[in-house]
Amino acid sequence: MKNLESNDDDWLKNGLFDCICQYITFTEPPLHCDQMWSPWALHGESPYNRSTYRYTPLLAWMLLPNIYATPHFGKLLFVTCDVLSGVLLYHILCLRGLSSDAACRFCALWLLNPLPIGVSTRGNAEALLSLLVLATLLCLELKRFFMAAFFYGLSVHMKIYPVTYALPIALYISTHGKLEAQKRGVFRMLQRLFNKELVLFAAVAGAVFFWLTLAFYCLYGWDSLHETYLYHLTRRDIRHNFSPYFYMIYLTAESQWSLVLGLVSFLPQLVLVLLTSLAFHADLPFCCFLNTAIFVSFNKVCTSQYFLWYLCFLPLILPRLRLSKKQGVGLLLLWFAGQGLWLMPAYYLEFEGHNTFVYIWLAGLLFLFNNSFIMVQIISHYIPETVQQRKKTE
Amino acid sequence: MLLLHFALSVFRLTPCEASQKDEVICGPASAWFESVDMSVDVAKRGFHRELLYEVHHDPTPQAIKALVIQRLPSGVYMDQYQLASLREDTGLQVLLDSAVSLEDPAHMSSGFSALVYLSPADGLPGLLQAVVPVHGRYHRPSSSGGWERVYIEGPRLLLRPESCETLPSGLPHRVVEAPCTVQNQSVCSWLEIQGLQVPDSVTLELPVGDFSLTGPVCAGTILATLLCFALLFRTIWTHGIF
Repeated sequence: MKNLESNDDDWLKNGLFDCICQYITFTEPPLHCDQMWSPWALHGESPYNRSTYRYTPLLAWMLLPNIYATPHFGKLLFVTCDVLSGVLLYHILCLRGLSSDAACRFCALWLLNPLPIGVSTRGNAEALLSLLVLATLLCLELKRFFMAAFFYGLSVHMKIYPVTYALPIALYISTHGKLEAQKRGVFRMLQRLFNKELVLFAAVAGAVFFWLTLAFYCLYGWDSLHETYLYHLTRRDIRHNFSPYFYMIYLTAESQWSLVLGLVSFLPQLVLVLLTSLAFHADLPFCCFLNTAIFVSFNKVCTSQYFLWYLCFLPLILPRLRLSKKQGVGLLLLWFAGQGLWLMPAYYLEFEGHNTFVYIWLAGLLFLFNNSFIMVQIISHYIPETVQQRKKTE
Repeated sequence: MLLLHFALSVFRLTPCEASQKDEVICGPASAWFESVDMSVDVAKRGFHRELLYEVHHDPTPQAIKALVIQRLPSGVYMDQYQLASLREDTGLQVLLDSAVSLEDPAHMSSGFSALVYLSPADGLPGLLQAVVPVHGRYHRPSSSGGWERVYIEGPRLLLRPESCETLPSGLPHRVVEAPCTVQNQSVCSWLEIQGLQVPDSVTLELPVGDFSLTGPVCAGTILATLLCFALLFRTIWTHGIF
């Protein structure tokens, strides 16, 4: 991990790219390039022998060319995934009715965004997840449910957060039927869940997830289940991060109330994700964006790479967002300001040794308010695609 | 009789000359060890520090290998993957005596020892040095916040002449067996240098949480999340298509 100089002037003088890289390394625990995981896979050992490896072994296998070909293979792969994500965004935007020029302009928000560039060139695999999730959306848009299910099953195997898309995808597929069958009501929605395309989707996605997980369980045992999935479900990181719960978790780590507080903090996330799935499933990119943004904002751990999980949907929702440029720029600046207000005390804690825990906690709460306010503005000014509109365009 | 005396004198001198030659070839003289001086310093601030080791000694025709054995408490850790990366990039040679957790807090960790093989400084004869990154762990919150002190005890210095298979005898230093190199494939005899003027320990101060704020922090966090939850719930309910 590159340590920041303790001189504030030097830190401020760094170029934009360096700033972003340092911002990412600064908010993340040390994470060397993925090549550190592959040697274990090469020698037939478990990649979980490498402590802090908490991903599917598939990722370590995919990065074996780091050993055979070039140590930069992993970064090149993730950068390629970034670019391919841009291609998928373009196609989805065109299918949603945008002209080619307009679609290119919105894709540029992802392709020229320094955050995904920095994350991928650092050797982080988030771009792979973005690619799989966008591939799922594109296949659903093209009504290719088998391929959509394959990509979705694979994405859930790679990382657990796409499981929050299960309900909106199910409802989306179930409303693919005849227009006159689209009666409103939660009960009708649940009734429509039993149709053959949905059963096919569930079967294929479930099979891909199940067989991959089983194969790696047979190879690497309980570690593969625990480190890939269970660790993330029960993770409670006492170290400082963007989550509003961080300081509460740190102070109550050994308290008898720890479990209760954990459950209490999970409820807002769960209820909001369920509600959003029911409310906006007809416009899947928008629903996935909101689900992910809510999931990340209310999560017990939040680091900067999680932002990519919902940023990849931004080019898809912006065309239907009725905000003025001034309002849009204002919200963007608010989002950055919230992060900046957190980064400042966190820097002084980690690299200068000042006791800024209270300020970090307050900044975390403010960041939650920021994110909530931004989501409220987006929801209020968005024109979601309805089932009727979708049918008319098909 | 005179001839016998002369012959005996020659026989007596030959082993002495041979042992003197051995002493000249295999290890510096006893007086040289008194020129050895070591310093330990801690650089940087916050949770990410560096331990700076410097060993000064009088020039000697033989290369001298220096090994620092540093005992570290549970309040800090060294990242074995970072050390492996630095070994490739900068030649830093550090061996850890056990697997070290990178994430556990101090009260769930245990101490460990680091074997630091010092390297000659470029262009500076008589100086061996190493800069080793060390990271602070999170500690239990204290009843009033503030800082937790972590004491890193003074290191042990081991030396051995590079070309010697056996160490010079008659020296007032303890012989210790330790890995010859960072590859840890063989064990060599080292001389532990005692009486060095190093501090008994160096101290790091790491910030800790304020346990007395648990109530307000929990209340404030839950209130804030409920407020944001209510805001979003109302907006989704109003604008959602059910």
